[in-house]
Amino acid sequence: MNRKIQTLLALLVAASVVLAACGPAAEPTTAAQPTSAGDGPTVDPMAQFSPLNVSGDIITAGSSTVFPLSERMAERFRDEGFSGNITVDSIGSGAGFERFCEAGETDISNASRAINQDEVALCEAIGRTPIEFRVGTDALAIIVSQDNDFLTELTMEQLALVFSTATNWSDVDPSWPNEPILRFSPGTDSGTYDYFVEEVLDDDATLLQNSVGTQYSEDDNVLVQGVLGSPYAIGYFGYAYYQENASTLKILNINGVEPTEQSAEDGSYPLARPLFIYSDANIMLEKPQVAAFIYFYLSFVNEEILDVGYFPSSEAAFETNWENFYNALGMENPM
Amino acid sequence: MSQFLRLTVRKSTPNESMMAGPPNLREQNQAQKVPDLRRRPRLRDLTIQGFLFLCGFLSIFITFGIVYELGKESLLFFGNRQWSSTNKPLAADISAEQTVFEVGSSGTPLQGDANYRIEREIIHIDSINGTTLTVQRGFGGSPATAHRAGLTLEAELRPDLVEFFTGSEWAPHNGKFGILPLLNATLIVSGVAIVVAVPLGLATAVYLSEYASLRARNVLKPILEVLAGIPTVVYGFFALTFMTPLLRSIFGTDVVNIYNMASAGIVIGILILPFVSTVSEDALNAVPRSLREAAFGLGATRLETALRVVLPAAFSGIAAAIILAASRAIGETMVVAIASGAGPNFTFNPFEAAETMTGHIVRISGGDMSYNSVDYNSIFAVGLMLFVMTLILNVISQRIVRRFREVYE
Repeated sequence: MNRKIQTLLALLVAASVVLAACGPAAEPTTAAQPTSAGDGPTVDPMAQFSPLNVSGDIITAGSSTVFPLSERMAERFRDEGFSGNITVDSIGSGAGFERFCEAGETDISNASRAINQDEVALCEAIGRTPIEFRVGTDALAIIVSQDNDFLTELTMEQLALVFSTATNWSDVDPSWPNEPILRFSPGTDSGTYDYFVEEVLDDDATLLQNSVGTQYSEDDNVLVQGVLGSPYAIGYFGYAYYQENASTLKILNINGVEPTEQSAEDGSYPLARPLFIYSDANIMLEKPQVAAFIYFYLSFVNEEILDVGYFPSSEAAFETNWENFYNALGMENPM
Repeated sequence: MSQFLRLTVRKSTPNESMMAGPPNLREQNQAQKVPDLRRRPRLRDLTIQGFLFLCGFLSIFITFGIVYELGKESLLFFGNRQWSSTNKPLAADISAEQTVFEVGSSGTPLQGDANYRIEREIIHIDSINGTTLTVQRGFGGSPATAHRAGLTLEAELRPDLVEFFTGSEWAPHNGKFGILPLLNATLIVSGVAIVVAVPLGLATAVYLSEYASLRARNVLKPILEVLAGIPTVVYGFFALTFMTPLLRSIFGTDVVNIYNMASAGIVIGILILPFVSTVSEDALNAVPRSLREAAFGLGATRLETALRVVLPAAFSGIAAAIILAASRAIGETMVVAIASGAGPNFTFNPFEAAETMTGHIVRISGGDMSYNSVDYNSIFAVGLMLFVMTLILNVISQRIVRRFREVYE
């Protein structure tokens, strides 16, 4: 009996020693710090932006489209060791600007459109000068099967008809086949659905809800399968997902504009919108944690953005972003 | 949730009564008032007995818990008004007293003489002139307060039971609460499944019990039961990637949609086949040998014996098997979620896509749903409907078993 206990104890001690030895190695020794510039022996000037070296709260609010992206970046920022609180409120771009410019409550404003003159004026009235960072682009792809031989493009008006009151294709254009339209839409909880309703159906969700036999799924793959299944099917989802399946699907031009990364980014494709975050130089100087978060956001957003369902901004846009960032802090752009 | 429903269904397996044993011996003892010669109860026996009782009690308790929860949440759905966003924003800040104000031009058109909600406050719209509303403030005991520009108006929805059972459109967001499209799809899918499973299952059962040698039976029966062990998600993809293309190659791609009820129904039929065949076979086996021998003695062939004597004698068991399989088909979720379509569609064409009740619950609860939203509350009503349907089927099967049961000595 005694022997048994002794052996057990010995085993326990051995196990704890092994565990203790393993412990520190398992932890991340260096939280991946954005160290793109510091290659000299001197102190890395970017260390001030490490999530480990800043504290305090960061308040962001705004667009529900940017929300999942900002939420993802905030999560990652916390994972890298940021100890303060980050709040990301999804209240819409307009309301976001109101809180940023009028009430001055937020540090960063998320927006899925550029700030307008009135809002800039409001901001300036409380001593804030909005600085714009273009973090990505959200675009919708309207897709049909490659067997579909009657569609290459739709106008916005036709698209609205197709996804609302029309039953057969011939209801939209008499020269099209007299076959029922098979509609495939993302589910009502998705931001893609909200954006489609807002942009195409003038925010009247009842139009799409009342359309006959529309199929919904939160799983884009289900939509792809459905559209592939018939030449009379049509669906929509994020452009990024279309890119992954481009070889099997046919994408439609809208209002005569071909959807490409470029036409989406410059805004000529009507179903695309830019994604921005806005801040202000004084906030960034007074609250180093805000500057650190924006630095982190700009550095890593491209690693997350496709996963969230949007696609990245061009390099030119990022050059402007970094220019704005360093200007705001009165630093020299190291790039 | 359907898992639980299925469990409750199994618990009240109707063929329990078929296995009713000899009359209870203890009752006889007590009736005769014999001196107590039994071994005195021991602690261990008592513990085991208590444990067994607890198990039984627990399963009944859980059943009641589920019914209670379903009923309570459904009451939330039918008893209360629901709110659904119109996406229509206030154009400017309004004060607590203001009764005439502007709203944005986008969003769902508003109705006059109807209730809407801004934040916690309920307003009643008297008249609409373009984007200008004239309203009464602070309805239904809600306090009239100031609201900020950009807040959206929510429309009032009132689901009622009559509409629930007679309406042919299901769009809770828009205040359309007719369960018929979902119910219809469920019935068509289960109907197809039963049409597939019953002939196949019965034929298999007759073969196994009347024709197969003992050796063949010992090999075939476990293999058949493997069908019941395949995960339903596998069946779902089997339907989508094998059965649907097969149907489309037979009937043409223009006739058969990629997501359709027929494909899901046929595959569910395969899924419930073992339920039909094994339970029916047990029922056939329970028919005494003497009946068959009498039939043979009268010069009946094997087929005649099987069809005219054994099958009718085992009718109650077979009916129970079929109804059990039917309630399993109604509750089946994964196959329909994958293969039968994901949008309510009131159609009698099995080659079209339509969403069943279970499929709807899965799809709606799959997104980021907020508590107390119309969609959230509506799925409990659908769930209760499902439960009631399987309950009715079980009661019917109990009745059939009791009414048509043949007792042989």
